[in-house]
Amino acid sequence: MAGIIQVERISKYYNRNQPDEVRALSDIHLTIAAGEALVVNGASGCGKTTLLGLVGCMSRPTSGSVLVDGRDVSRLPERFLGDIRRRTFGFIFQQLNLIKSISVLENTLLPLYPGKLSMKEMKIRAEEILARFDLNTRAGEKVSRLSGGEQQRVAIARALIHQPQVIIADEPTAHLDSVLAAELLDILSGLNREGKTVLIATHDPFVSNHSLIDRVIRMRDGRIID
Amino acid sequence: MIRLLKILEFALSSLGRRKFKNFSIIVVYSLTITALASVLLLTSSLKKTALNVLVDGPNIVVQRLAGGRHDLIPTDYARIIEKIPGVGRVKPRIWGYYYDSLYHANYTILGIDRGSEQFAMVEGKTPAGDEQCMVGQGVAEAQHAEPGMDLLLINSKGIGYSCEISGTFKAKSALWTNDLIVFTTGALKRFFTMPDGLATDITVEVFNAGEVALVAQKIKRLLPDTRPITIDEILHTYESIFNWRSGMMLTIFTSSLLAFSILAWDKATGISREEKREIGILKAIGWDTGDVLTLKLCEGAVISVTAFLIGISLAYIHVFLLNAPLLVPVLKGWSVLFPRFHPVPYIDGYQIIILGFLTIVPYMASTVLPSWKAAITDPENAMRGV
Ligand SMILES: Nc1ncnc2c1ncn2[C@@H]1O[C@H](COP(=O)(O)OP(=O)(O)OP(=O)(O)O)[C@@H](O)[C@H]1O
Ligand SMILES: [Mg+2]
Repeated sequence: MAGIIQVERISKYYNRNQPDEVRALSDIHLTIAAGEALVVNGASGCGKTTLLGLVGCMSRPTSGSVLVDGRDVSRLPERFLGDIRRRTFGFIFQQLNLIKSISVLENTLLPLYPGKLSMKEMKIRAEEILARFDLNTRAGEKVSRLSGGEQQRVAIARALIHQPQVIIADEPTAHLDSVLAAELLDILSGLNREGKTVLIATHDPFVSNHSLIDRVIRMRDGRIID
Repeated sequence: MIRLLKILEFALSSLGRRKFKNFSIIVVYSLTITALASVLLLTSSLKKTALNVLVDGPNIVVQRLAGGRHDLIPTDYARIIEKIPGVGRVKPRIWGYYYDSLYHANYTILGIDRGSEQFAMVEGKTPAGDEQCMVGQGVAEAQHAEPGMDLLLINSKGIGYSCEISGTFKAKSALWTNDLIVFTTGALKRFFTMPDGLATDITVEVFNAGEVALVAQKIKRLLPDTRPITIDEILHTYESIFNWRSGMMLTIFTSSLLAFSILAWDKATGISREEKREIGILKAIGWDTGDVLTLKLCEGAVISVTAFLIGISLAYIHVFLLNAPLLVPVLKGWSVLFPRFHPVPYIDGYQIIILGFLTIVPYMASTVLPSWKAAITDPENAMRGV
């Protein structure tokens, strides 16, 4: 089954060979099985976001490699990565990364533009998923006018709409209340049962302790400690 | 295909989002095109008009040379030329120049035979007798004259010569007739104090256009002191005059083009942080580099084609409906009496294509290249706008 991730001895430096060089990850080794649900835990600044970004092909390791379904993506030219990101990953960013000047609906539709669905089919799908996150009444609203929690839900809807194999969520409950957080975890559990891989970085014990989670990894100073 | 249409739709809506920015670009862009296209439309229309007038004219003009200079030609020569096979109408012409020291203007004076049908473009009448004359718009304006009034000219012997203006040429032919004064042949001969049996030159019509060069050679052989000038040679002369004149226009042309490239360059060196961030986001959620390029190409194409069409239309209106008010000051430098003219609508498709190529391509390149650069950086960096 698709959705296997192998992280092999990766290190990541920011501003390499400059006075402000940061070593964000050292020598990380990690295998995520297809269909597994995994949480990455650790203090602020320990490298969780960096790790998720490498796994989701948002950036490249300084050394080591990342294999997605056995294919080394860390050396692939950028032009091949769009396709892999679209087919494999749904990414919920810590910074959300929504386009603020367009509507909730348009943001949600974005991942479907490169696909085969017609505009009409895309809209039907978007309405479905927005309804699940209680956003259907706000579909036409500009994202900049939404609350933090609402924006978070738009980011989640956008990450799930193209039915990715692997869902990567960076602090997905940061702006959600407990009811909405529980709702999100229910949805993720459902997807996980369908065989999707789930990778979450979080401080939130509610997430780490949820029945969905198969495994918790702890990080400190850019290393996995257990 | 469906992917392309969807991205085009997205491009249109994202253009709408940056209304102010895109609107300003379209305004500047189309005004640049208007300036450039006005110059092109005007020069090619003038050229076309000039050539049209010439093409309708005689095939050969025969001058006599004396000491290597243009001299009066015996009208007898016409009878010799008439006998050459293939030659049609042969006519001695009388014409010359007149300097009006009062208005500091140069006029061309042409003699015509009475009852000649040569000039159809008249308001009023052709001269009915030696005491009447006909003038071009420019002459009429300079002299504040109109049909019915008298025109006073002073010849080289200092003798005043007055004639009644029987008509003026219509503005449509102004390029050709603007500085023209027409007398009857007899009156003009007297004004120039030209002896009988002589003319300024002789025009020759040739039935078969392919034989013009041959006829010219024969004339030269029969009348060694003449110089037959074929229509092709005249056309070339005109072309080069126009090319010289459009040199000034070309200066305007290149400077506007320069201004345009500066604008384009400015855009090239800076797509906004916000735009970079958006490209990063699109890449992060699974758009291909090609999808981003398609998006930016669509946006650029919509903007530049819109601006181009607006610019061309404005130029058309400016030149052909409003008679190029903004370019006339430049044209006025050409001659003291440049016509208050009405350019004849004529569009040189080739020039328009060149103009399109020279503006759309740099604009597209200037928007697509930086977007492409953003699209091939790691999304994480692009999303931070770096
Ligand atoms: N683009 C960057 N340039 C320079 N340093 C960076 C950059 N991104 C992250 N870092 C540094 O790398 C280290 C790891 O950052 P990262 O964002 O991965 O931590 P995190 O575990 O996600 O933290 P948090 O829980 O606060 O989100 C930090 O020290 C951070 O300052
Ligand atoms: Mg983080």
